[in-house]
Amino acid sequence: MSMKAGRITRIVAPLLAIPGTILYLASYFRGAWLLLAAFAIYLAGRAADLGVPAAAEVVRRSLRRAAMPVAGIVAALLIGAIIMVSTGYDPFTSYGALFYGGLVRGWSVSVLNATPLLFTGLAVAFAFQGGLFNIGAQGQYTIGVVAAAWIGLGMRLPGHIGIPLVFLVAALFGAALNALPALLKVRTGAHEVVTTMMFAYAVTTLSPMFIRAFGGDPSTSMHPYATDQIPASFWLPLFKDFLPKANYRLHVGILLAIGAAFLVRFVLLRTGLGYKVRAVGHNPVAARTQGISVGWITAASLLLSGALAAAAGATQALGLDHRMYQDLGSGYGWNGISVALLARNDPVAIIFTSLLWGLLDSGGQFMARTTRTPNSIIEIVKAILLFLLLAEVIYRKAGSSFGALFAGLAARMKAFGDSGGGGGQRGRGGGSGGEEAGA
Amino acid sequence: MRAMGEAPPVLETRGITKRFERVVANRDISIRLEKGEIVALLGENGAGKSTLMNVLFGLYRPTSGSILIDGAVVSFDSPRDAIARGLGMVHQHFMLVPTLTVTQNIILGDEPVRLGHVLYRRARCRVVELSERYGLVVDPDARLEDLSVGLQQRVEILKALYRDARALILDEPTAVLTPAEVEELFAVLGRLSEAGTSIIIITHKLEEVMALSSRVYVLRRGELAGERRTSETDAAELANLMVGRAVVLEVERATPAPAPPPILRLRDISARNRRGLPALRGASLAVGPGEILGIAGVEGNGQTELCEVVVGLSLPDSGALFYGERNISKWSPRRRMDAGMGYVPQDRRGSGLVLPFSVEENLALGRSDRPPIGRHGFIDRRAMRKQAVDLMESYDIRSSGPEAAASTLSGGNQQKLILAREFSRDPTFLLVAQPTRGLDVGAIEYVYRRILELKRKGVAILLVSMELEEIFALADRIAVLHSGEVVFEATAAATDAVSIGQYMIRGGRMAP
Repeated sequence: MSMKAGRITRIVAPLLAIPGTILYLASYFRGAWLLLAAFAIYLAGRAADLGVPAAAEVVRRSLRRAAMPVAGIVAALLIGAIIMVSTGYDPFTSYGALFYGGLVRGWSVSVLNATPLLFTGLAVAFAFQGGLFNIGAQGQYTIGVVAAAWIGLGMRLPGHIGIPLVFLVAALFGAALNALPALLKVRTGAHEVVTTMMFAYAVTTLSPMFIRAFGGDPSTSMHPYATDQIPASFWLPLFKDFLPKANYRLHVGILLAIGAAFLVRFVLLRTGLGYKVRAVGHNPVAARTQGISVGWITAASLLLSGALAAAAGATQALGLDHRMYQDLGSGYGWNGISVALLARNDPVAIIFTSLLWGLLDSGGQFMARTTRTPNSIIEIVKAILLFLLLAEVIYRKAGSSFGALFAGLAARMKAFGDSGGGGGQRGRGGGSGGEEAGA
Repeated sequence: MRAMGEAPPVLETRGITKRFERVVANRDISIRLEKGEIVALLGENGAGKSTLMNVLFGLYRPTSGSILIDGAVVSFDSPRDAIARGLGMVHQHFMLVPTLTVTQNIILGDEPVRLGHVLYRRARCRVVELSERYGLVVDPDARLEDLSVGLQQRVEILKALYRDARALILDEPTAVLTPAEVEELFAVLGRLSEAGTSIIIITHKLEEVMALSSRVYVLRRGELAGERRTSETDAAELANLMVGRAVVLEVERATPAPAPPPILRLRDISARNRRGLPALRGASLAVGPGEILGIAGVEGNGQTELCEVVVGLSLPDSGALFYGERNISKWSPRRRMDAGMGYVPQDRRGSGLVLPFSVEENLALGRSDRPPIGRHGFIDRRAMRKQAVDLMESYDIRSSGPEAAASTLSGGNQQKLILAREFSRDPTFLLVAQPTRGLDVGAIEYVYRRILELKRKGVAILLVSMELEEIFALADRIAVLHSGEVVFEATAAATDAVSIGQYMIRGGRMAP
């Protein structure tokens, strides 16, 4: 009976979560209730399956996992506030504008920013899981745009054939761009950081050449800097098509990207390939000893990583830009590295880090427009956040003393009548997480 | 109890308890260390020795209990505090920077500085002076990565002395050393204790306790099982305290059967090492079913290359390898594994396990491609879990669960994990390299029993070991590897440790 309850909730929870996510992304913020309901039903299912303590453990574990990133974000914002105060800007109005702009007013822009980042973040994370640093995701992104422009401008196809074809070709192009780095890595040990980055620069530098090769109308002012518009049959569907109040530019690329995140997670955890990629990434010697072909797996990780990054380019070209622009430093490839690192290469966590990055970008622009505070402060906050979360290893080692520090801070906050007590627990949680019951 | 005027102990713990989330690693432990004394802390893997030392060194905070230095209660927030109070620790896995010189490593974190400038020459003088005073000879300008493990350990000791350590804690100091290096280390420790340094040595090797210490504390399952003066006890009593029951170190062996055709045969195998130098020179060996062939030899005489060639990690320059009737010289490791060859590598953390992987994922290594775990390219997590639960049960692997990372397991349990993975594949040939290095008595006994069990099932076993006792405890036949050549081969019954030792050291035939 109870097993049955668990199985039912496993079907019902996603049935609520998926429309909830779609609604929320389209700025129908009431979708959050559906998400909360889905989570509650999931927990109820766990409780029915495994008992209440186990369900409580799930909550506790996810809270503990979120504690450090959240603490890092809060700390980065605080440091940003200090910088604002010391340079003569008001942090309250600035942050008010940042979050109003990023989460409410310009939420659709945040989502649009996050879409390619999520793909490139996944690309970088997948390579990291295999022990490789695909620093050239920017190049694979660009080649993905090239694939979209090439197919879109060169062929007359209906959307249901054209769009999948573009993604397929983009993936092949992205993988092909990493084929030589992969070969060099496996055969000669040439480091992928150098080779993929060189290709990235080559491709971005050559992008004007591609634009000219695809032709275009020389009479328009954009001529040498952008291609003609890709025909509408290739465009990704818009949220507006089924949710009338959604922003007119918001396309379903974010749903594809979220789907890709879950797919990557599935591949890593549930397929032989993913298992081998992780084994090689963590210990190539042991993997080789156990009969895993390190060369093939290394090559496969790099190729798949390239394909994912190229999908970012294809999504951007088919969903938002509808043409290929000469690269003006969009930086989705480079930022994908930040997003992946923040998420510690966990594919599902990248959904949240890319949205965070996207909202800091769009909110920062809104802030710069509506207050005097320059957008560059948000860039500083981003850098501090990245630094804090990457330095976590350091303060995890010094866990106990930091726990004491956080506890002290918390006590002081309480003295001010503030509800900052959580800080102390977070600090201590991080401390005990670093210890191992080894002997 | 203590006479008036007598100096308090250099280091003392009173009722130390350390509790982790689910485990009590130390319970109510009180020990003391007098000036110039060498005390051994003996216990099985997982008995709580390292936890206790980490508490002493400020890496963990005790849940309750106190630490006293020179009779005064202290509290350490970090190793820095412990070092400031005159404690020095030499970890089992060295904490050194390979690309820096010896002097740079020693002064790292405690550099003599004037006006932001490191007084390197002064530091070097002090390093030289310290190394001369205690006979710790090491080139102060050598890059660390060029030094042998034994010398690196000296650098660790010097590092502690440089920080004026009055009490040294050594965690399993001999686990990584060759026999000759062990002797040198013991001499150094003797000199240090004569000079007034107090020493705690953590170990699970009974001979070391007997040879080195004046007192010994035995830990079992996180509790103090006993304290003895070394002169008033013997190895048997200590082993019983450690394990909590009588231990049999001699394992029964069945009489060897007459020789059937060999399972694995090496014919004139030559191979090079990583640096491209010849490491195996025309080695020929054969192992039959139900037979254990022990490869004796001093470390670095071609054992590593022999293992790599047999498993298929590297290819021989010349010669051939036969598995049954088939020439497998060019087969990949995967193909050899599928054909029924198993491998327990010497370096379990480096090549036996993927440490960040969970226990269940480590047990699935090499099996992800075929049922029940691998199905059409997908991984059946439920089958993986079931296999792990079964193997953890039948091989007595102790961890917090199948999801625990392999890195959190004790050395003995890590080895059991590898044995479980390799033995449960039902191999017909098994290469076992240094299977008990770094293990305690209880675990050694367990490993031996499992190996002999496989032998009785008819598995051909090639045992590579630097420890002669181990070879004699297990092998039916013994071959000696010297400079990459098989210089001697005989049945275990027809030879003895003395002559094998001679061949190991001198190589070629002795004068009659």
